[in-house]
Amino acid sequence: MLDGRVSPAVELSDAALVDIVLRGESEAYARLVARYRDRYARFALHMLGNREDAEEALQDAFVRAYRSLHRCGDPARFGSWLLAILANRCRTSGGRRARHERRFVSAEDRHYAIALDHPADASAWREEIGRALARLDPDQREAFLLKHVEELEYEQMSAITGAGVSALKMRVKRACERMRRSLTEGEDAPAR
Amino acid sequence: MRQHDEFAGKEPDDDILERAVNELRRPLRVNAALFDARVMDELLRTPTGLRERFESLVRPRTFRISPLVAFAAGLLFTVSIAGSVLYVLSSTPPARERTVARTVPGAPMVEFGFAAPHASSVALVGDFNNWDPKATPLRAASTGGVWSVEVPVPPGRHLYAFVVDGKVWRPDPAAPKATGEDFGEPNSALTVADPRGGR
Amino acid sequence: MTRRSVALFAAAAISLAPAVLRAQDARLDARLDARTRDAVVSLIDSARAEGIPSEPLVQKALEGASKHADGSRILTAVRALSRELGDARAALGPTSTEAEVIAGASALHVGIAPEALAHMRASRAHGSLTVALAVLTDLVARGVPGDTATTVISALASAGAQDAELLRFQQGVERDIAQGATPSAAVGVRAQSAFPSAAPRRTP
Repeated sequence: MLDGRVSPAVELSDAALVDIVLRGESEAYARLVARYRDRYARFALHMLGNREDAEEALQDAFVRAYRSLHRCGDPARFGSWLLAILANRCRTSGGRRARHERRFVSAEDRHYAIALDHPADASAWREEIGRALARLDPDQREAFLLKHVEELEYEQMSAITGAGVSALKMRVKRACERMRRSLTEGEDAPAR
Repeated sequence: MRQHDEFAGKEPDDDILERAVNELRRPLRVNAALFDARVMDELLRTPTGLRERFESLVRPRTFRISPLVAFAAGLLFTVSIAGSVLYVLSSTPPARERTVARTVPGAPMVEFGFAAPHASSVALVGDFNNWDPKATPLRAASTGGVWSVEVPVPPGRHLYAFVVDGKVWRPDPAAPKATGEDFGEPNSALTVADPRGGR
Repeated sequence: MTRRSVALFAAAAISLAPAVLRAQDARLDARLDARTRDAVVSLIDSARAEGIPSEPLVQKALEGASKHADGSRILTAVRALSRELGDARAALGPTSTEAEVIAGASALHVGIAPEALAHMRASRAHGSLTVALAVLTDLVARGVPGDTATTVISALASAGAQDAELLRFQQGVERDIAQGATPSAAVGVRAQSAFPSAAPRRTP
């Protein structure tokens, strides 16, 4: 039984950690942050297109989740609940940079999935993918990322986005079509 | 390898989307210490869960003294824009940092910043001010708990740190660390380029 | 320098610069106990006699004082720094500037070999090595192997990289490491994109 101080060595479930935090051990929240930070940073980055906005959105999402933790319906599914908050944050606030700059302007600080064992032209490829993503509607981009990068089931995606399964399937299909066109035809691909 | 239903097909182009997805799936790693500290710091400032002993868990945030900034400060000399102020946006984390470089005869001006919302004083110490905690106090901003100061720093490599509340020694988490500590307390390193040279 | 000429030089240095010595004494007086101060001043005097810059030694002593280190630890640190400054000066040559020697000493401090410093000097005959040496130091402090760092920075320097580019390079490597790259890989990738012709071949 826990006496209030959580031993770092113990690997606790999301539900257990949420429970601990709600009982007053706020520092335990740091473990949830560590658990989801990198994975959701990836999603935020691909949604928003630049690092600064992604980290800001992610930070925001963690803070909001903490503040409304008592309203998390199912603590065992904290991860999905957090992702929903993040997705919503990405959709509504977007990013300051995105509003004022053309996305993916320079390769340097846009993509951080560092290619450690790929040749230097990998960054050009990542840029291209980024541009293709940027050309999608936000709804399509979100659905595409949740399905193919986060690898979620449509039911989960529906809970996260609030959209119906068939609408989501349509968005994913459209997104794939546009991505494919963008990537094969390059920058001149007509937006449809 | 997973089968992607949407990708199943005979066209060779299907491969390109699959390749793109594989690229997008590559794991990302955030600067954990900085990110976690910012989140926890933000959380613990809210009425729920604010406890003093978390101070020790929350490392003070800083916005780093980008070497590029130090160089940019020097760059002003070569461009000779007397009396004007240029803004330099650093591209390193954290994002919102800005530094102001001014032309001043002599050493380039470098802005040092340190975020410590609960501190009552923050001082800059380094090999350019005799490591004297009384020499260069930082000024607190009106909001956000960010302290800053601008000082002239001669070209070259320098060691520095911050002293919080007159006693707690803190390096700059985002700046290069100076290893091989002589006295147990960590330092940070700063390189200021000579505005005249460097070729 | 022969011992005799060192002694003469020392005598000359002391007699010619009493005002400066007194100024140093004032700073050290205020912050060190008498015994430590005497020992430190003596060390500094010997160093100056050999052409080693004294200001970094004074600063090192003051750093120790501010950190409340005991006298023997301060002396050890000042002595070590004096040696590193001397070695750096020898490796970089007598025409090196004080800033170069200080940066060189920090490079030696993190374990970079004196030969590497000499190699850097050879690869960039004109222009200051200060920033190059500082970047080299910071890379090694960050975990890049000394050989790799030296090769890359020398290559960049001799390929004509300016100080700004070297600093940007270092920033980029720091960022990559923070995002999960190993230090060597980060340096390798950055070097390739910065100077494709100058980058070393990647070791597996």
